[in-house]
Amino acid sequence: MSSRRLPRLLQAPAVILLLFWMLVPLGMTLFFSFIRYVLASLNRPEWTTPSIDNWRGFGNYAFVLDSKDFLFAIQNSLLIVGGILFLTVFFGVMIAVLINKVFPGQGIVRVLLISPFFIMPAVNAVLWINMILDPVLGLNGLAIEGINSVIASMRDAPVVGWFFSLWPEFKPISFRATQTSAYAVIMMVTWQWTPFAVLIFMTSLQSEDEQQKEAAILDGAGKWSQFRFLTLPHLARPMAIVVMIQAIFHLSLYAEIEIVSRGNGNKNLPYLIGEFANNNIGAASATGIFAVILANIVAIFLLRAVGKTLME
Amino acid sequence: MGQIVLKDVVKKFGDTEVIPPLNLTIEEGEFAVFVGPSGCGKSTLLRLIAGLEDTTEGQVLIDGEDMTEVSPSKRGLAMVFQSYALYPHMTVRKNIAFPMRMAGMSEDEQNIRIEAAAKSLNLTDYLDRKPGQLSGGQRQRVAIGRAIVREPSAFLFDEPLSNLDAALRVGMRLEISEMHKRLKTTMIYVTHDQVEAMTMADRIVVLQAGVIEQVGTPLELYHSPRNKFVAGFIGSPKMNLLEGAEAQKHKAHTIGIRPEHIKVSTKAVKGAWKGTVGVAEHLGSDTFIHIHGVEGCDPMTVRAAGDVAVKHGDKVYLTPEKSQIHKFDEAGLRI
Repeated sequence: MSSRRLPRLLQAPAVILLLFWMLVPLGMTLFFSFIRYVLASLNRPEWTTPSIDNWRGFGNYAFVLDSKDFLFAIQNSLLIVGGILFLTVFFGVMIAVLINKVFPGQGIVRVLLISPFFIMPAVNAVLWINMILDPVLGLNGLAIEGINSVIASMRDAPVVGWFFSLWPEFKPISFRATQTSAYAVIMMVTWQWTPFAVLIFMTSLQSEDEQQKEAAILDGAGKWSQFRFLTLPHLARPMAIVVMIQAIFHLSLYAEIEIVSRGNGNKNLPYLIGEFANNNIGAASATGIFAVILANIVAIFLLRAVGKTLME
Repeated sequence: MGQIVLKDVVKKFGDTEVIPPLNLTIEEGEFAVFVGPSGCGKSTLLRLIAGLEDTTEGQVLIDGEDMTEVSPSKRGLAMVFQSYALYPHMTVRKNIAFPMRMAGMSEDEQNIRIEAAAKSLNLTDYLDRKPGQLSGGQRQRVAIGRAIVREPSAFLFDEPLSNLDAALRVGMRLEISEMHKRLKTTMIYVTHDQVEAMTMADRIVVLQAGVIEQVGTPLELYHSPRNKFVAGFIGSPKMNLLEGAEAQKHKAHTIGIRPEHIKVSTKAVKGAWKGTVGVAEHLGSDTFIHIHGVEGCDPMTVRAAGDVAVKHGDKVYLTPEKSQIHKFDEAGLRI
């Protein structure tokens, strides 16, 4: 017994600090979620201070569940996270395989590829929504305008003119609209986080066994079979890591959503919390607890999947 | 099926010529061993035959057909690698099935061949395991199984036993030899271990710096090495090479005498070489004695049958068997 006491004693400060770090905010959130607590109220000034006297039970939870945005926000959170995960892993693998070959300027290309990762999320969002996705001033608008003018000029061309005169005039897509703002967020975050996936896949590809590939070549495997049966299974582990880390990060996206559409038609749970927190701390806290539960559900699924690949 | 001919094959990496023009014929059904010190080009040669490296010049003929430009998988050769090169995420069954799957063979035919290969290699109980759960010897057997099921015209082995411990190596050596007796397929085996070469080969190809020093049966190489390099490389312990006065007596620049062809005595013998025992290695069946102080060769190794009672510092007298002395000229060639 006594031989264990000293190490435990020495560990204690760190463990206690971590416990406080975790438990105090969680406890406060839980407490606030069960009371009426607002930042400003002319009618009920007593609600502006957190107190057990303002006990509301599960009232805040019922209020959040009833609010029209809640289910939408959960759905949207999952759509955004799922979309980003799929696209970053897909592009990450493609780019990593592409630049794994030796070619002149490899070093520079790699640095350039990593660079989006060093841009601040808010800056990234401003650049994308204004310079690329804007239907008038952005690349989006300019490209559509260009295509339209090419089509217009082709209408008078001989032989094929009739074919182009059947074409309608294209309209640029507005990415601040209700239906599309989530896609804008997925695009910009994918752009920013693909380098992260590329980086991890690239290091993993460098540890791929060359003799295995040669054996596969002798066994008659073509390029595709080598990729399918050797490279992809080899990347399973780094993929699991990329998915897990990104899922944790992207469940809490905020800046991009704020900048793209101020939450119009595109809210996730953190954004909903932010909206409630303008005044209703009780409801914000209740949403926060829901967010914790959602994150845990996602984490359990991910840990199972990841754990399985890591065990092999 | 299975004759391999190398015709004026040259391999260059950039400006460095690893293999100068080289000609070699490996007959059908032969067990040929490429042996040489590391970096002598023996693995490169094997990879040229397999098609994993392109020849800079020259031709590779398999069964009389020019295969120089043919892709590795179409040459009908199977290779076993030093690191086994198994696919780690596939079970043993899937590993063995892989080449057949790539060839689009039917499931039934695949299973028949897998079962047969597994049976002959004692892998039946391990078919559903992954390579990570197998020992080194078992992994190497899986790699061999993967080669067998393709029914190749020749097997290529690239130092397949170097990653195994000594006891396993001896066992696997026998298994591969027996497999060759059974299948009667051409096999090319690369190793740096002359014991493997001597025990397994029908014909040994000794290489140094990309050049073939000698080609011959193990005993030819042992009894009449063509030059000093082959003499020193084949046989264990190494042949003793003497220069100077002692060699002059035999009208040669260098003379060589194998450790097992020297008689050792603790009593003075007329005309014998004199020396002092350095280290005596007692193996039970033999004693290897390393002797200092013999003119022209230091240390000289002697292999005496049975147990010889000598210890460090003892004075000994050495008599070589006259008939077993090899003579070499200044260029190192046999006289």
